[in-house]
Amino acid sequence: MELLDLSMSEILTKLNNKEVTSVELVKLCQKRIEETKDLNALISTCFDTALEQAKIIDSKRAKGEKVGELAGVPMVIKDNINILGTKTTCASKFLSNYTSIYTATCVKKLLDAGVVVIGKANMDEFAMGSSNENSAFGPVKNPIDKTRVPGGSSGGSVCSVASKQCFASLGTETGGSVREPASFCGVVGLKPTYGRVSRYGVVAFASSLDQVGPVTRTVEDNARILSVIAGKDEMDMTSANVAVPNYLANINKGVKGIKIGVAKQFFSDKLDGEVRSKLDDAIAWYQANGAQIVDVDLPSIDAALAVYYVLSSAEAASNLARFDGIRYGVRADKYDDIIDLYFKSRTQGFGKEVKRRIMLGNYVLSSGYYDAFYRKAKRVQKVIKHEFIEAFKHCDVLLSPTTSTTAFKLGEKSNDPVAMYLSDVFTVPINIAGVPSLSIPCGVDKQGLPVGMQIIGAHFEEAKIYQVAAAFEKHNTKGEK
Amino acid sequence: MEYETVIGLEVHSELNTATKCFCGCKNEFGAPVNTNCCPICIALPGALPIVNSEAVKKAILMGLAVGCKISNYSVFERKNYFYPDLAKAYQISQAEYPLCIGGGVEIDIDGGKKYIRLNHIHLEEDAAKLIHTKGETLVDYNRGGVPLIEMVSEPDMNSADEAVAFLEKLRTTLLYAGVSDCKMQEGSIKCDVNVSVHQKGKPLGTRVELKNLNSFRAVHRAIEYESSRQIEELEKGGKIFQETRRWDDERGISYAMRSKEDSQDYRYFPDPDIVPISVSEEYIASIKRELPRLAEQRKTEYLQLGLTESDADLLTAQRDYADFFEGVLKEFNEPKFVCNWITAEVFKKLNTLDVEERTIPLEPKALATMLKLYKTGEINQAGARKIFDELWENGGDPVQLVDSLGLKQMNDSGALEKVLANIIETNPKAVQEYRDGNEKIMAFFVGQAMKATSGKANPKLVAEIVKKLIK
Amino acid sequence: MSVTIDEVKKLAKLSRLEFTEEESKQFLSEFEAILRQVDAINKVDVSGVDLLESTINADTDLRKDSVRTSLEVEKIVANAPESEDGAFVVPLTVLED
Repeated sequence: MELLDLSMSEILTKLNNKEVTSVELVKLCQKRIEETKDLNALISTCFDTALEQAKIIDSKRAKGEKVGELAGVPMVIKDNINILGTKTTCASKFLSNYTSIYTATCVKKLLDAGVVVIGKANMDEFAMGSSNENSAFGPVKNPIDKTRVPGGSSGGSVCSVASKQCFASLGTETGGSVREPASFCGVVGLKPTYGRVSRYGVVAFASSLDQVGPVTRTVEDNARILSVIAGKDEMDMTSANVAVPNYLANINKGVKGIKIGVAKQFFSDKLDGEVRSKLDDAIAWYQANGAQIVDVDLPSIDAALAVYYVLSSAEAASNLARFDGIRYGVRADKYDDIIDLYFKSRTQGFGKEVKRRIMLGNYVLSSGYYDAFYRKAKRVQKVIKHEFIEAFKHCDVLLSPTTSTTAFKLGEKSNDPVAMYLSDVFTVPINIAGVPSLSIPCGVDKQGLPVGMQIIGAHFEEAKIYQVAAAFEKHNTKGEK
Repeated sequence: MEYETVIGLEVHSELNTATKCFCGCKNEFGAPVNTNCCPICIALPGALPIVNSEAVKKAILMGLAVGCKISNYSVFERKNYFYPDLAKAYQISQAEYPLCIGGGVEIDIDGGKKYIRLNHIHLEEDAAKLIHTKGETLVDYNRGGVPLIEMVSEPDMNSADEAVAFLEKLRTTLLYAGVSDCKMQEGSIKCDVNVSVHQKGKPLGTRVELKNLNSFRAVHRAIEYESSRQIEELEKGGKIFQETRRWDDERGISYAMRSKEDSQDYRYFPDPDIVPISVSEEYIASIKRELPRLAEQRKTEYLQLGLTESDADLLTAQRDYADFFEGVLKEFNEPKFVCNWITAEVFKKLNTLDVEERTIPLEPKALATMLKLYKTGEINQAGARKIFDELWENGGDPVQLVDSLGLKQMNDSGALEKVLANIIETNPKAVQEYRDGNEKIMAFFVGQAMKATSGKANPKLVAEIVKKLIK
Repeated sequence: MSVTIDEVKKLAKLSRLEFTEEESKQFLSEFEAILRQVDAINKVDVSGVDLLESTINADTDLRKDSVRTSLEVEKIVANAPESEDGAFVVPLTVLED
């Protein structure tokens, strides 16, 4: 087995046992990245600084000095997360020349833990999209079938992990942007509880929904990264002052006695037959292994997608107003005056989907429509959140498909925004409720495309999710290795 | 036909916190361009606001000082519009749930009192500074994000005089509450004015918003101008449009800033980056305990010290006067005596300064020391004035000044007798007049004695000796 | 919920975005399709649901008023399309004279 095929946890053991150096790993990753360039997973790379950091960590380790818990692990970071000295483009033409002058808290924590950042991942522009086709740097391809989308918006982060360009990556979620691609590419992706991970330095799409999430090849790897990046940050008022538990403590405890909720709303006729049968198998496995399956009701989640489009667009319209061509970003070459400078720079800098969301957002916020859309959506959000809280009184976790189908073809939905938006129908309710959810592989369909299932927890119950996910993963990957 | 003018004010005042409202950069006037800036100030992608506890506290302090109800639940909202002085293209402000609700202040007008209600006070951030040069505009974000409170009045004022009295009252209160420096030339207090006119007994007219009012005088002039403009327009059979007009102080006119069709839609909504804030009753009570004594309270205390109503009014007109008075009293507890000197000598000097610059350059302790020397007869009034002038201009220690200026009063009666014997001898005419009962001639002897002693003679002692020598 | 082409133009102005006539029309039809989806929010009963959110405490949870070092002015303007002696440069923000 090649080193790049190992999980991050396995590679950490090898690093700590000095069987491999971080420099070797960075070079291996570099080679793989060059070999798989056609996937277009990365927007920029930083091998030189990565090798410098790797060298420092290797020498510390060689001298027996204390190193961080993830010391030497090469990682990729989504290109909407600021890292001092790197380009942070958000896959937008507007920010194509923007260099970060500060580092996001989540990355700072990873760097402090010894992570070596090797590149910035491609994505849908400003994280708006479900297929990674909305990138100013071209679409990302699904490593399992290059004619298909990897999902989005964290398509590059996921593709990079799935194609073994790195051991783990950070993506971001607003409505499913980690879980949907994780499901399409057959890896593990988490949307943490809203407030679990600091958003400071993460370019905002919709502030009240955005969360950074780890993308990994195993559940344990995912838990290790969350352990590092989670926690209250004084630079983000919305980060939660809730203690970070040890996510590894119960990860191998199995599922005996665990109550798994199944809501019929996640198993509607919208669901693809093959996906449904994989989910049925998983549910049967859990039941056979001591978990109790309970029916729960989430009557209002059908409205979640609508709530999402109102709230996320409203916030996006305001969050993206700062891209005006004055302090950073690409200013239009020709303009008549200050007003024209705004119009031209923004019109030239933003792609179509971004413009669509800004327009929609300003529509639902404008006078005369605010109450009917924004306020109404806020109220519906509360109803949905309470339905989840109610559901978790009857179960430990909820189980659902991550997506209704497996990965679709490139170009298949790119001209139909509504069809594209429906790709997120199962992931979005989780963001609206603010609860955590992990997507893990659950087999493949007849075409060999991965099926993903999500395990949803109550607020701040990521540990429980990991426990339930790890049990299934052990079973699911048996025989693979 | 008789018209009535209706005026409402929105008064903005910068709070004197150490740091900005939503980041830890210095809240400081006059720093080199863009040196008090961070990712938050220039709205870099990914930067997030973090509310300054002191800004919230000072807004509440002001609310308590003007009798507002403090909200237990307060929300920051985004006011969205594009302008280069607004880095995020939205201003963090408050709309639906401001920190302070209601309240009001009493103004003195035409010998009477009038209560002007406040609608609310909210906390928001200041905009950056635009510097217009030939052909381009430079943007300096140092001021961007400085905490402001906006105090919004009800339309309770009916004249320019009332509006200015209201402004002055708010300014005084801000200073007493210790929440703002209120320096108009540094932009730390600004206001927008809403003016409408209507015929008495008829419904209110359409209101016009006036901007760019950079002094209280400008406010006064702009209101007078605007209300006559509106009345003239209506008399002509014209219509008043709801619009924003800019005051041009140089030309003394207002003109429309934005056309109606392009009316702003600020798309207010709760800022998702800032969690709503709860203010507990306990916290409000603790802030209340910290509220400095305000003008009314101090005036009452001064009356109890035996000062007259008019003296107490003079001393409490500005917080720094009252603070100065109390500072002197702390060292030298002679309220009447101290008050007399301040209202006469200190205010005489202050009145020679521009209104904006009327601050007392003295240490209260120095004045107290000087007044003590005067009261105990170490120096006479002329000497006191000389020392006072010196302290005002250059500062220093009054005790040393007595020596260096040679002002020690001559209290040696033996020496004074010699001086006076000489004066009496050389001025027989005056001596005769005194003997004839002209008491006023005493002033002549005192003057001569002063002349002979370079102003050091103790005038009281001089009079006694003259009386004794001329019998 | 129907939207007019004039509304689309008004929104574009509010958003500081320019669209060609054709783009506006295409946008209009997409917009209407999206709004039909959004109509789902009207199918949920929200009577009695307020909009109050959870809060943090003004006295204990807010930032202390202590100064943090600002960034060097060179960094502040490092990404500026145009700057001059540490200031950002924009076309004259003309006063409407």
